Amino acid sequence: MDTQNLPVNRKQSIPVARLLDRMSEELEFEVIGGYQGIGRPVLISDVNRPGLALSGYLDYFANDRVQILGNTEIHYMEQLSSALIQRRLENMFSFEIPAFVLSRDLRPRAIFLDMCNRMGIPVLRSRRSTDEVISRIIVFLAEEFSPETIVHGTALDCYGVGCLIVGAPGVGKSETALELVERGHRLVADDVVTLRRRREDNIYAETSPVIEHHMEIRGIGIIDVKSVYGVGRVRNSKRIGMVIELEEWNATAAYDRTGLIDEYVTVLGVKIPILLIPVRPGRNIAIIVEVAALNYRLKELGVHPAQQLNQRLMNLMSDEDA
Amino acid sequence: MEGTTAESELIIVNTLGLHARPAAKLVQTALPFKSDIYIRLNSHRVNAKSIMGLLTLAAAQGSRLQVTCTGPDAEQALEAIRALVDSGFGEETWK
Repeated sequence: MDTQNLPVNRKQSIPVARLLDRMSEELEFEVIGGYQGIGRPVLISDVNRPGLALSGYLDYFANDRVQILGNTEIHYMEQLSSALIQRRLENMFSFEIPAFVLSRDLRPRAIFLDMCNRMGIPVLRSRRSTDEVISRIIVFLAEEFSPETIVHGTALDCYGVGCLIVGAPGVGKSETALELVERGHRLVADDVVTLRRRREDNIYAETSPVIEHHMEIRGIGIIDVKSVYGVGRVRNSKRIGMVIELEEWNATAAYDRTGLIDEYVTVLGVKIPILLIPVRPGRNIAIIVEVAALNYRLKELGVHPAQQLNQRLMNLMSDEDA
Repeated sequence: MEGTTAESELIIVNTLGLHARPAAKLVQTALPFKSDIYIRLNSHRVNAKSIMGLLTLAAAQGSRLQVTCTGPDAEQALEAIRALVDSGFGEETWK
């Protein structure tokens, strides 16, 4: 599988409006100031609590992040004199700030809101606790900024192992997927698989919102797996544990006969085990995928059958020597 | 893949856009060629030999598709696809 030349999509920034739009339900946001700045870009998937900046220390001020104001910051601002807070805020606002988010339904000082309105820095307010607001925003931003790509293949959950089946058009990916679904496994996506990297070292396959769980079977046309097999045979996302590459049987190619060496492929910078499976008429690929998935689970549990057999053989031979 | 690369921008001219039937025609046209054929719309890139892939593009009339063929018959593949797309897939085209 050619994974080096996949076009990778990664957002450089998202407007504050998207944060508001997507998180409104979860965090019950209301905009209490700086409406005109709602298009400001958020460039970094992290938040900052600007306590030190409010106290006047602006070296290393992480201004490019969403600024979270909780109890501490709001009450600290309250006990400052008007002149002092104005000066502190002016210094702070000389930096480019995407947005402020207030937690616990807190009420900021009028002078703070006035300045945000004047500068066009949106101020969002949530009823939730500060830690809840922070963790949800961080998760949301990480998701938004995660790199993604689209591959031509099929993704399934087979015995709890996410399998990505790839191979040339017509090699039998969809037919294999159909048989696996028939045998009780779950389809994530056929033909068009969105891969997304989450939390640095996990690759998730996702269903396309346009085609969902439809698949094309040559000779029949387009079918909807969710309608034909039921909701229990589909899922919308699954972490990929291994890649299975199907290839027309090639008499001269050397296929793995022992399973002693694990091969890997790098997808979006993450190493994933890959198996090259030759296809020829009469070979039941679905069963091979099932066995591969079960063998993968064994290896995850620390059992490596090929290595163990080899070790036993080597012990036997060294005993004979003695 | 070995061979040459041929690339061109094609515009969807038929009224209904790239719906299921034109997508099927496009796949039929692309399939016989040995080349890898990819179609890109904005940042979305799919294999031209996959109907479902083409459908996810949701390419309406006027969409500009970037077609890239790589392989031994890249030029011929691109010409065949160009002819099909320019003809509006045999459907009604907007005047």
